[in-house]
Amino acid sequence: MSIQIVEVSKRFGHFQALNTLNLNIATGEFVAILGPSGCGKTTLLRMLAGFEQPTAGEIHMNQTLVASASFNLPPEKRRIGMVFQAFALWPHMNVTEHVRFPIRHHKETPAAIREKEQERITNVLQMVGLSKHSTRMPHELSGGQKQRVAIARAIAAEPSLLLMDEPLSSLDAMLRMDMRKEIQSIHRQTGTAIVYVTHDQGEALAMADRIIVMKDGHIEQVGTPQDIYLRPQTEFVAQFVSKANLVRGNWNHDQFTPLYTDGRIQWEGSQVADYFKACGKYPVRPDQFQLSASHVPGISGKVTNVQFQGKEFHYHIETEDGVWEISSPQPFQLHSTVSLNLLRDDLT
Amino acid sequence: MMESKTINAARGELTGKKALPSLPGLLTKRIIGLLLLIFLFLLFVLPIGKLIYLSVQGTGGFSLQHYTEMLRQDRLWSTLIDTFIIVVGSSVVSIILGVAAAWLMAYTDLLHKKALHMAMLLSFILPSYVLTLSWSSFMGSQGLAAQFLRLFHPDATPWSMYSYGGIIFVMGIHHFPLVYLLTVDVLKKIPRDLEWATRASGAGRWKTFTLVTLPLALPGLTAGGLLVFLASLDNFGIPAFLGIPAHISVLSTLIYEEIIGFGPSAFARGAALSVLLGLFAIIGTLLQWLSVRKIRAVDTVVIDHSPRYTLGKHRRWVSAGIWTFLIVITIVPLVSMVAISLKKAYGLPFQAANLTLSNYAFILFDNPKVWESIQNSLLLSVSTTIICLLLGSLLAYVRVRKPSWMTKSAELAVALPYTLPGIVFGLCMILTWMEPIPGWNPGIYGTIRILFIAYVCRFLILQVRAGITAFTQIDTSMEEAAHIFGAGTWRKWISILLPLLLPALLSGAFLVFLTALTELTVSALLWSSGSQTIGVTIFSFEQAGSTLYSTALSSLIVIVIVAGMAILHFIQKLQSKKGVQPQ
Repeated sequence: MSIQIVEVSKRFGHFQALNTLNLNIATGEFVAILGPSGCGKTTLLRMLAGFEQPTAGEIHMNQTLVASASFNLPPEKRRIGMVFQAFALWPHMNVTEHVRFPIRHHKETPAAIREKEQERITNVLQMVGLSKHSTRMPHELSGGQKQRVAIARAIAAEPSLLLMDEPLSSLDAMLRMDMRKEIQSIHRQTGTAIVYVTHDQGEALAMADRIIVMKDGHIEQVGTPQDIYLRPQTEFVAQFVSKANLVRGNWNHDQFTPLYTDGRIQWEGSQVADYFKACGKYPVRPDQFQLSASHVPGISGKVTNVQFQGKEFHYHIETEDGVWEISSPQPFQLHSTVSLNLLRDDLT
Repeated sequence: MMESKTINAARGELTGKKALPSLPGLLTKRIIGLLLLIFLFLLFVLPIGKLIYLSVQGTGGFSLQHYTEMLRQDRLWSTLIDTFIIVVGSSVVSIILGVAAAWLMAYTDLLHKKALHMAMLLSFILPSYVLTLSWSSFMGSQGLAAQFLRLFHPDATPWSMYSYGGIIFVMGIHHFPLVYLLTVDVLKKIPRDLEWATRASGAGRWKTFTLVTLPLALPGLTAGGLLVFLASLDNFGIPAFLGIPAHISVLSTLIYEEIIGFGPSAFARGAALSVLLGLFAIIGTLLQWLSVRKIRAVDTVVIDHSPRYTLGKHRRWVSAGIWTFLIVITIVPLVSMVAISLKKAYGLPFQAANLTLSNYAFILFDNPKVWESIQNSLLLSVSTTIICLLLGSLLAYVRVRKPSWMTKSAELAVALPYTLPGIVFGLCMILTWMEPIPGWNPGIYGTIRILFIAYVCRFLILQVRAGITAFTQIDTSMEEAAHIFGAGTWRKWISILLPLLLPALLSGAFLVFLTALTELTVSALLWSSGSQTIGVTIFSFEQAGSTLYSTALSSLIVIVIVAGMAILHFIQKLQSKKGVQPQ
């Protein structure tokens, strides 16, 4: 399903939740909406589902109007599936009944599926790996299994759009990694467009075809995961997605000279967005720094905290420009003085 | 949007109009909402206005003469003193029993806590006049207590229940479950690590209790104490059965005697008295509400059910002691009451030769008035239950899913009749429905219809509260999921909401049914020949001295209550087997 979101705004009383948003989602695309809480990402998702109505603007699905300020197609008439944050399983129904519900009750269910209901249920349960648990009740399932039921129910009637509202946030860390793989494979097998809301940049980067970073009701940046991570366009994206340090200095075309150095140090920055060049900053990710002993020329800093993380160390390093977060495989002692330089970037 | 659609549809059903889409729909929704609110106001709030209006209406317009006259009467002052003694006395009994029970149940490792919990509530579930009758037959000259005492001394007689002490005692044991219920949760919510932290900081057990546990439990204790105060102020059955014969009157029985004794000429005097009693009740309610709010302020932790103190080798003895106490305060008097109801004549010893079912046969088959009253009570309670179940659940749904000043005021309006003491509310109903519009008497007062209206108005809030608790436990996402997966409003209620909510809604409805079936206070004022209820019939049997019949009818009520509770328990068991956790 292709979706057009045109000039959409949403207001709750005096609070502007969404501010004239424009966005197109292509058929079969996996889009992640990423942002901190209160950025409007959930409002946008609930609008796509039909639970909220825009106060201005229009939403089209497959070239038909589904929502505007004066019209709202109810959720049950849209061909969508949804995975809720806390699963929203019905406590009185078993696994099979959950999967059967949309097949039986959704008016848009394709006839082929409706006629072979049992076969479809078996297939879907197999897809999510729940074949053995088809008669279990929700309270007899583990967190990961509940999540699989929620996904099975969401894809059962072959929706053309799958909405996911922070689906992994109620699971523990190990399980979250497994479920990412599951969701990717579901996306490959069904070819359904997915709109995935999350505040975890790791999930968005790992799974999405395209990421939409939101803040305070508007879109900050849209792009592929690599774009967003490697070439942030705004300070917010640089800090929220790639946890970048904003090093201050002077730009001369594509050459950057950090403050508090003797001027001999020059960083290449042809990939850095114009926004940063205009305000004299260079976004440097924690892994982009090269740490060396203090006699090497570079920005001088002092280690104020070290955490060993296995494959690398996480440092807090105090420089004249502020405290920066840096990760590096090289060991340095607490309180030692180090010299900082930009690592050659291989990813770009 | 989904919710507003549901409401539109629901309101459409009520008014017989189809819900309109978009802007005009929004406007109609507003108007229908306002109309409903006005309707609720007329039904629930206006009667109180009428009561106040009448109490300040003299022969020539506004006057405070009823109040000045009332305050000059000695009877009022003696009644106020009696009321004070009885309310304070019984509240103290309830608080002591309730807190002790709550502490033991919350913190120690008693045996069979689940069964104990149910047994604790029994004395409150019984209608107050049934409990009173059982105690007066137990302690009467024919009762088990007298027989027991005679074993020691042939002339020993038990203490008379028709006294301050008797009233205070029965009221105290009738209301202690209220304190127990409010306190036990508050105690369980006090995090045990707070106590550990106090102990680790060097305070002993006693200091821990006085410096940490007690201050944290205080809001719960206050709320429970005030609730009991209100319940005692409201209670009519106990002082009517035990106080009137002994010339002890409290405010509620005084108003009753004025209205019944002097008829419409006493309405203005009754109204002034009612305003006074109503005022006490409203003040009590406000204080109670404030202290419950305080509980909520500390209420951020989960309930901790595991015991904190082990009773060790005393465990058995303490458990047995509590069981004995509960059995003595409820079961033994009930058995004594049933025993009397089976006797051929009052005064005969309890022997096989003297036993008969003729009292039951008389009340069920030979006396048409009794049969009529049973029919009336059944008709009233069934119709009230159905209306309340529908209206109350709907109101609760709108209140939970669409919170606004409109739904909030609707809930407040509906709560008002239950907040007022029953006798005050009864008088309000008379004043409102005698002539709803001055000069027009639709013939509602003096028939069973006024009882029906009064029951619905008074008990609707019980269903609303049960509904609100039920709906808040179901996350909105359950409903949203239903819509996403193709269910319209109708299908959502049938497949999702009703299966999940039915046990909770039904237990609310059962409460309404039971309360309506055994109602006495409001009916005592509103009944007329042909529309008497079970409660009124038992009351008049008792006043006429027909103890055999009043105990027989009360025993029947006890059987109905036990059967009803068994059915309810069965339904909930069935539901929990299907995997729905009962709350």
